[in-house]
Amino acid sequence: MGSAAAAAFTIVPRYVLGGPGNTPPSEKLNIAGIGIAGRGAGVLEGVQSQNIVALCDVDWKHAADTFNRYPAAKKYRDFRKMLEEEGKNIDAVTVATPDHVHAVASMMAIKMGKHVYCEKPLTHSVYEARKVAEAAREHKVATQMGNQGQASEETRLMCEYIWDGAIGPVREVHVWTDRPSQGLFNVYWPQGVDRPKDEPPVPETLDWDLWLGPAPYRPYHPCYLPFAWRGWWDFGTGALGDIGCHSIDPIFRALKLGHPTSVEASCTLVNKETYPVASTVHYQFPARGDMPPVKLTWYDGGLRPPRPEELEEGQEFGEGGILFVGDKGKMLGHRLIPASKMKDYGRPPQKIPRSPGHFEEWIEACKGGKPAGSNFDHAGLLAQAVLLGNVALRVELREKLTRMKLNWDGPNMKITNLPEANQLLQREYRKGWTL
Amino acid sequence: MKKDGITAPKGCGGQFDKKCSVDVGSGRLSRRDFIGAATAVAAFTIVPRHVLGGPRNIPPSEKLNIAGVGIGGRGAGDLDEVGSENIVALCDVDKNYAGGVFKKYPNAKAYTDFRIMLEKEDKNIDAVVIATPDHTHAVIAMTAIRMGKHVYCEKPLAHSIYECRKLTEAAREAKVATQMGNQGQASEEHRLVCEFIWDGAIGQVREVHSWCNRPISQRGIERPKETPPVPETLSWDLWLGPAPYRPYHPCYLPFSWRGWWDFGTGVLGDIGCHQLSVIFKALKLGYPTSVEACSSGVNSETAPLASIVRYQFPARGDLPPLTLTWYDGDLMPARPPELEDGRHFGEADDNLYVGDKGKMLGHRIIPESKMQEYKKPPQTLPRSPGHHREWINACKGGPPAGSNFEVAGPLAEVVLLGNIAVRLGQKLYEKGLKLYYDGPNMKIINFPEANEYIRSEYRKGWTL
Repeated sequence: MGSAAAAAFTIVPRYVLGGPGNTPPSEKLNIAGIGIAGRGAGVLEGVQSQNIVALCDVDWKHAADTFNRYPAAKKYRDFRKMLEEEGKNIDAVTVATPDHVHAVASMMAIKMGKHVYCEKPLTHSVYEARKVAEAAREHKVATQMGNQGQASEETRLMCEYIWDGAIGPVREVHVWTDRPSQGLFNVYWPQGVDRPKDEPPVPETLDWDLWLGPAPYRPYHPCYLPFAWRGWWDFGTGALGDIGCHSIDPIFRALKLGHPTSVEASCTLVNKETYPVASTVHYQFPARGDMPPVKLTWYDGGLRPPRPEELEEGQEFGEGGILFVGDKGKMLGHRLIPASKMKDYGRPPQKIPRSPGHFEEWIEACKGGKPAGSNFDHAGLLAQAVLLGNVALRVELREKLTRMKLNWDGPNMKITNLPEANQLLQREYRKGWTL
Repeated sequence: MKKDGITAPKGCGGQFDKKCSVDVGSGRLSRRDFIGAATAVAAFTIVPRHVLGGPRNIPPSEKLNIAGVGIGGRGAGDLDEVGSENIVALCDVDKNYAGGVFKKYPNAKAYTDFRIMLEKEDKNIDAVVIATPDHTHAVIAMTAIRMGKHVYCEKPLAHSIYECRKLTEAAREAKVATQMGNQGQASEEHRLVCEFIWDGAIGQVREVHSWCNRPISQRGIERPKETPPVPETLSWDLWLGPAPYRPYHPCYLPFSWRGWWDFGTGVLGDIGCHQLSVIFKALKLGYPTSVEACSSGVNSETAPLASIVRYQFPARGDLPPLTLTWYDGDLMPARPPELEDGRHFGEADDNLYVGDKGKMLGHRIIPESKMQEYKKPPQTLPRSPGHHREWINACKGGPPAGSNFEVAGPLAEVVLLGNIAVRLGQKLYEKGLKLYYDGPNMKIINFPEANEYIRSEYRKGWTL
């Protein structure tokens, strides 16, 4: 690669040739990071065995530590400028911005033939998740969503126990997180609050307009960043978006789920600004091959499913978790309950190859290896289901949804029984932004 | 002066024992109240009516003489409902809030302190209607019961399980007519639910869901720090009654006390006695074996914004064990597939019965086509003349009212047990427990510290 390649590039841009360049396993990837403070710093650490050649953040003060850590990387504020200027120098991009920027950043990179690692949830809307996944397939780039749990031993065990029939056919799954609350008196981030009225000045180091990206304009306020954007409809995706892509992922794998047939939700009072304080979301999935239809119920904000009889007194039920209810037993995470049953059963046969690590999977895929575990074909489907749950929570639909649940035609990306709800599958971008 | 449970102000001629402890220093009791109390006490010393062994016999042709306690809010409605009788005395701690009601009954004597009213009016009243905040239900009802007065008390019957139990026992002993204010129990719908389920319309029921999404006072908040002055018309000390002292704040009243643990009982306490009543009757429930709860976050001051409470009931006769799940704060069970698109899933509150052979939403089998096909069973339950009328009739020697305390007491206990699980939710989750309950002995068996919530300590000067 080097200047010759760069020269060639000005004549025939690589992405026009229909795909990314081949980086042999012996060579290092050249990676650019978008959104590099916060979780982005962790993502870069995950791929630091490669060359980190360019870094982009809308707040250079917030991102200062990361910039300092990679002094050789060029610094940018606007990912569009970075991708244009560094196009010839980079093979791959990591995206760890707030949720509302995931899709535009990933899509631009994909269309340039760059491999993409993008934090969860894949995008901010169902439509974006579909489009980003389609584009990645078309451009044959290596992709991975940031749900690192997918690479774990536990995820594999869940699949193998269920596929081995350890709890019989599964018709019911419960999955929960205590987020956005954190124990008794704290919250990870606020939800159920209204938009602030005061307009403090934008910090000098922050490019507020770029932070907003495709989201509708609103004045700066420190209540949005860092991190707390997760609770705001315009920027984040609530507890479900944050944790759902982690904890529903093994359920998707073990039960071979695809599109749900319906979704419904109930929650504490919602407003147009933030997600509710606590919610439950019910998904219905159809039969898949030998597997019967399954009901999946999501709980957040401190809500939980009933404690199963099989769980011994004194055994913690978990601040977050997964409970599989099978015809012949129950599994809490990757453990059969009660523990005596787990002991009697032993280990199911290994059917899934073990992972070299979540980031390593992606790096290998970028170098011609097999697709990473949470590549966008998988992650796109998962994220669409997760984000569909948020549609069922929308205040605009509350009244209507007391009279029906949302019936979902996944392949056609369409809510079939409430046409107006389809408007909530995507949203208009601010002028100047496109997917 | 031993007046079973009756306490009265200090300084009334030295006739009161140590239990008397109303803060007269505040000067909020009128001179008339004091003089009245002293007179009543004098009469009382001669032949207290309760010593004679129960309430007087009132023929149906005669009118009851009724006193109302807590008349500003719901109390006004209750008084309307018993308006066929004589309303002879009224009591409220806020002259301003209750002003309209006092005016409506110009012949009724007006009081601020129920204890003084009961002492003074003892010989003039047959029955008492109680619609104060939850935390004063028990002390008022108990005083009245021990004086041989019939009692109508708003739901929930009391603020703690212990209070419910004691009131139930005392009412039984005193042979007074009682009724809790869950007026839905008198409805046609409740009877239909019972008759359908007993007819096997949906088979054996193992699962019931009940929810209430009414916005009931602020919840999920902390105690205010500012201490605004007490409005002149309000006797704050009397409003607090047996609850621990705290400075006045308008966030507590009127009505909004419901969300505060020291005064109210949350949405479950407020509405649970309404909605669970029909489930108790139709499915012949008694005490549950266990209860667990989760919520959107609970603190020691207020009930959570939203909660789910799950009760497990044992088999009863031919009836299989049952799981009862309560939801509030806009939480709901999953929409049953039997319910047709376009039909409201239970308005603000409803019950969903899941049977072996079908489901019922409220008193309708779903889907509606199945309801239409269903051959309704003959009426087996007598219809009600009306909730308040039931009580009036019972006071005059008629059959016990539908929600007399033998029925209402255990129901309210179970409702309040749910609140204990809500309050301890986080701790129980950390300990890996749900609460196992020994109903007859009023004891949580696997988590001793939970028993502290079964009975609350009263402020000095107050006893049950």
